[in-house]
Amino acid sequence: MSEPVTVALLRCAGCGRLDGAGRTVCAGCLSFALEPVEVSGTGRLATWTTIRRAPSQFRDDAPYEVAVVDLDAGPRVTGRLVPGGALPEVGSAVRARPCDAPYLLFELLPAAPSAATR
Amino acid sequence: MRDVVIAGIGSTAFGRHAGTPIEQLAVRAAAEALIDSGLPRERIGAVYLGNFVSGPLNGKEVLAGIVADQLGLPNVPCTKVEGACASGGIAFRHAWLAVASGQCDAALVVGVETMTHAPTAQTTAALNCAMDNTHDGPSGLTFPGLFGLAWRQHAQRHGTTRAQVSAVVRKNKAAGLRNPLAQMGAALTDEQIAASAAICDPLQLYDCCPTSDGAAAVVVVARDCAGGLPRLPVDVLATVQTRGASRIAGHPDLCSFDATVSAARQAYAMAGIAACDVDVVELHDCFSIAEIIDGEDLGLMPRGHGGGWAAEGRTGIGGDVVINPSGGLLAKGHPVGATGVGQLYEVVRQLRGDHPNPVPGAAIGMTHNLGGTGVACTVSVLRRGDA
Repeated sequence: MSEPVTVALLRCAGCGRLDGAGRTVCAGCLSFALEPVEVSGTGRLATWTTIRRAPSQFRDDAPYEVAVVDLDAGPRVTGRLVPGGALPEVGSAVRARPCDAPYLLFELLPAAPSAATR
Repeated sequence: MRDVVIAGIGSTAFGRHAGTPIEQLAVRAAAEALIDSGLPRERIGAVYLGNFVSGPLNGKEVLAGIVADQLGLPNVPCTKVEGACASGGIAFRHAWLAVASGQCDAALVVGVETMTHAPTAQTTAALNCAMDNTHDGPSGLTFPGLFGLAWRQHAQRHGTTRAQVSAVVRKNKAAGLRNPLAQMGAALTDEQIAASAAICDPLQLYDCCPTSDGAAAVVVVARDCAGGLPRLPVDVLATVQTRGASRIAGHPDLCSFDATVSAARQAYAMAGIAACDVDVVELHDCFSIAEIIDGEDLGLMPRGHGGGWAAEGRTGIGGDVVINPSGGLLAKGHPVGATGVGQLYEVVRQLRGDHPNPVPGAAIGMTHNLGGTGVACTVSVLRRGDA
C-alpha cells in the first residue's frame, strides 16, 4: 500500500460543517471562521464519465475520466480517475492519489469489485 | 396579482444565421410578436431580453435597450437577464412579474443567441462559464460530461438502456422534420444513433443538441387589458423560477435536478393542476438523457420510468403526455438565450391549434427551461384561452 493521500476541505469553526475549498463563509451558518482541514481521501464512486471531446485547455489530456466521489468524511467532491485504470462500477471504493494538477485525483482501491476492463 | 395572457408570439428559425447581427435576429422575432399581438407599441411598458454569451461571442451587451430602440418602443425599462440556458425562461418570468404586479400593462419578452459564427473552442469556453469554474471546471468537466455522469447513475439505478435513450433521440429528431423552424430534424435508426461518435460516455453525438443561432419573442398583457386583441389569448396559469445546487457535488442526487422538482411542484400548485393534466410539454432536452430525467423530475411519469415511457411511445403524439413535439433542443436547436422563449412560442402555437406538428385538442401546455448545472430553472404552465 502506498501512503494515504488526504483531501483538503474547510471546516466551519461555528457549526462544524465540512465543505469543499473555495468558500468565504459557511453556507450552513454564515460564519467567516472556516478552517482548513485534511480528511481521509477514501470514499465511494457516485458516478463517472469519460470526456472524449475536451475543452481546449484539457485537449492534451483527453480522453480522461471525470468522477464524482462521496468521501467517507462526508462531502461529495468532483475530480478525476487515474488514467489508464480499470473502468469501475458505480459504488466502487476509491482513494485519493497525489496530484499536482488543480483537481482531486482518485484511483480504485485494489480490492474493488468486478471492474470492467477498457 | 393580476391574470396575465400571452397575446403575441414571434420566432426566427433556429439554426445558422451567418452574417445576421444578433440584435437583428432579436428585432425580427420581436417585431413579429408585436404585430401578432395587435398591441400598439406605446402600450409596451417593459422589455426583458434573455441572452447568455453575446458579450464573449459578439462583443455586444445592453441588447434589451438596443432591440427596443430599433423597434421604436417607448423609453421604458429594458433589462437583459442571464441565467445560462434558462435565460429566456427567466426573462419571461420577470415580464410576467412586471405585468401581474401592475407595474405595467404589457411587456415584451425576447430571447436571442448567436453562436455558430464562433470557433468551437471559443463557443465551448463561453458555454463552460455556466458551470462553477472554481469547483467543477478544473477537473475538465464539460456539459456533455455532466449528462454522462447523470446517465451512468440513472442507468445504474433504474436500468435505463441505450435503446430507451435512443427512443428519445428518434422521436425528437423525427419531430424536427415536421417543424420548419427546426435546425436538425432527421429520420434516424437505433443503429445510426449507437454508431455515432462517442462524446462523454455513455453520451454519443446524436445525444447532443446542436450549436444554434436564433431568436424568439412573446408579448404578455394583463388579461384586463387584452380585450379586443386579434389572437386567442393564452393564459399564463403559472410561471416559477427556482435555484438548484451551483456545483456538481452539491446535488444530492446526480440523476435528478432539485430545481426542476421544486419548480414543477410550485407551478402545479399555482396553476391548480396536476402533472397528469398537462397535454404537451416543451422541456429542456439539451441531451437525450435530460429528457428522461426532466420528465421524471416534472412528475410526468413515475421516477425511473422515463426511459421505458420513451421506448413505449408514451411521450410521443398520441401518448400519455406529448414531450417536445417541436423537436426539442435536440432537433429544433439550442440558441441558448432564445431557448426558453422558443419553448413558449411552440406551446402557444399548440394551444392556438396552428402548430405544424400538432397535439390534437391540447388545452394545457408546459415549458421547462434549465440553466447551468441545474442552478437555475423555470417552469411555466399555459392554458388555451377558451379552455
